[in-house]
Amino acid sequence: MVDEQTIKEAIKAIVDHDEAKAIEITKKFIEAGNNSLEIMTEGFIPGIGEVGDQFGRGLLFLPGLVQSADVMKKVTALVNEALPEKQLEKPGVVVIGTVKGDIHDIGKGIVVALLRANGLVVHDIGRDVDTEKFIEEAVKVEADVIGTSTLLTTTMGHQKDLEKELKKAGLRDKFKTIVGGAPVTGRWAAKIGADAYAEDAQDSVVKIKELIG
Amino acid sequence: MATILTRYGDGTMLTMSEKELMQDLEAGTQDAAERGNIPALSKEELAHLFDIFSLPYNFVSVEPGNEVVLTYDAGTLKIRRVGVNVDRIQALQIYEKIMGADTMELCHVDYSFKPIKPIVTMEQPILEQALLSTHVPLFYGAMPNLGTYTQPDGPFPNPSELMPMGDIEGARASYDATVEEAVKDIVYAARAMHASGADGINLDTVGAAGEADFKASLMAADILKKEFPEICIELGMAGEFILGMHGEMEWEGIRLAGMYPHEQVKLAEKAGVTIFGPVVNTNTSESSPWNLSRAITFMKACCDVATIPIHVNMGMGVGAVTVNDHPPVDVVSRASKAMVEICRLDGL
Repeated sequence: MVDEQTIKEAIKAIVDHDEAKAIEITKKFIEAGNNSLEIMTEGFIPGIGEVGDQFGRGLLFLPGLVQSADVMKKVTALVNEALPEKQLEKPGVVVIGTVKGDIHDIGKGIVVALLRANGLVVHDIGRDVDTEKFIEEAVKVEADVIGTSTLLTTTMGHQKDLEKELKKAGLRDKFKTIVGGAPVTGRWAAKIGADAYAEDAQDSVVKIKELIG
Repeated sequence: MATILTRYGDGTMLTMSEKELMQDLEAGTQDAAERGNIPALSKEELAHLFDIFSLPYNFVSVEPGNEVVLTYDAGTLKIRRVGVNVDRIQALQIYEKIMGADTMELCHVDYSFKPIKPIVTMEQPILEQALLSTHVPLFYGAMPNLGTYTQPDGPFPNPSELMPMGDIEGARASYDATVEEAVKDIVYAARAMHASGADGINLDTVGAAGEADFKASLMAADILKKEFPEICIELGMAGEFILGMHGEMEWEGIRLAGMYPHEQVKLAEKAGVTIFGPVVNTNTSESSPWNLSRAITFMKACCDVATIPIHVNMGMGVGAVTVNDHPPVDVVSRASKAMVEICRLDGL
């Protein structure tokens, strides 16, 4: 059980990207004999959620988001070290990129930062990526999820191509797929057969965690 | 109870009950009010929006006498993009003589100031010929597009690569360097086009690469206005708030990241901008009433404080217009009518 004051301090440490404070809270909590996962789920994860929300509202900016993500990475390592072997979960692996013909990657970069901050292993394969490359990389790194981003209506079709190519290669059941980007919707995801749609960076964290289960 | 036929932000058709329509109108204005820290629309304004969405017509419009200036950015690109094979001057003539454009913009297919710099002497005669064969005020324009100044497209290190490696100061230094170069290119091209007789210079999609984009545009406008006090400069934005990619960048002592339209316009005025084109992005998952109510809340706050003309961006994915290559007329006309009647703006 994490007390309310510690939860508040943990959230604040992540939002303020205060590494020293976040580490101090984590160590103190673990040394008191608590289950380290509790401080993660009740304090730090809501904290990084708050960071994502503030970024989406123009209240917090990219350098702050990156620094918060970095602090999150460090406390995640401490929490994992303290966990007994059987409680250690294999982190989800995500392959992500902007589809062929589209060079927009600002939004995708923000998604990558937040996913990493939430403990996922992310392989960012860049922008203007061939459909085959997504599949090759996913097979190579044994990904759980393939994420595709597109800003243009003219390149949305490549998200559909990925579904087709995965089926053709007999790999559709091996990976979950998630789509995002300004013109993309949940209806589009359903239409092409993708497993999920994420509206923004924070939503991508929620949806990918749901997909991985 | 009547059902209202409308759309989602991606253009998909949707029917709503009157109650659902009002709920979405209220939720849209509330979202904008919270994000921008601005007033939500009044009950009367929401009722007016409700009436506009309830009209049974495909196309709706304003009453005679309430028309506003209709202008197009990048028209010489858009007509080619939909497969109409005309050259740029013919495109301008089509917009002016057939589509009723009140102002137009000549632009190059590579719609950024940086690549225009080396070909500006090839662009000048086209502008001069276009001016001789059209009557509407003719702008020359492009995007500041600061992304073209970083690797792999430009000389400076890519902040998007430096930032994830933790090199925040390096990323910020790179953004600062791009501003200096972009200002030089914008001013160079604008001077040339002004000398060739352009009626105005349009800086379009400002802020697409974050606050460095906005800063370069303000600095360029400031230089141009001081050099040519009579010059007309239009500043059209890329998104509803200035993306904080740098986080600490300032102009005239004011931090730029996170600014919403009602704050952006005050800096534009200070820089000597003549016409401001604010943007509100369309959310493709939400309904057209939600998007329009939200967009009008932001635009009204902007119009209320502006002392220069406001030409709201209304097109694919902005101003509550759906994200379609050919936006449907029911959405475009409703959004346009509502913007004009509620915001008291000057142009679309």
